[in-house]
Amino acid sequence: MTERILDHPVLGKLDASPKVSFLFNGKEYEGIENEPIAAALLANGVRTLRRHEESGSPRGIYCNIGHCFECRVTVDGVQGMRACLTPVKDGMVVTGGGQLDAPVRDWRKNNG
Amino acid sequence: MADKDMIICRCEEVTYGELVETAEEYGCNARELKLRTRAGMGYCGGRTCRNMVDAVACTVTERDSTQVTLKYQPPVRPVHFGDLGAIGHD
Repeated sequence: MTERILDHPVLGKLDASPKVSFLFNGKEYEGIENEPIAAALLANGVRTLRRHEESGSPRGIYCNIGHCFECRVTVDGVQGMRACLTPVKDGMVVTGGGQLDAPVRDWRKNNG
Repeated sequence: MADKDMIICRCEEVTYGELVETAEEYGCNARELKLRTRAGMGYCGGRTCRNMVDAVACTVTERDSTQVTLKYQPPVRPVHFGDLGAIGHD
């Protein structure tokens, strides 16, 4: 069911940390308080965090150290937050970006 | 997945194949390759793919040590104007 490592050979058992619930793209998920948003979603089987602005191809965790900004999401209305670094809190509203309109390119395709 | 379909610049979705083809066709240096393909011009500011774009360019041109190659552009990470001016944030 869960994708979590509950009993790690080196780190030991995952202790009973407080659970939080948060919204991702309008759907409710459960996570462990203060774990990264990306980790909470991965534990729920969600790997697509956003879609590429131009092509719409899926994007998720890439570097996972806050370097590449591939996992950027909107958190409580603030854009460009890195899901791999942002601790998840109770009641957080997270939205992944989607494909954007490209009216000039579409126009040129037909009229250029 | 074939090597040519491997994405080098994820921000602008530029594949290894596109980079190699462009580099071979125009014999470009790193800066020209960046300008032609948009690799390294996306959200992360080229911090992820910079070295790879540079390496592809170096396969067709001699490295010119008198020229500045691809560089980090300040601010080093994308920053909200709100964070700089502290407007709209606590």
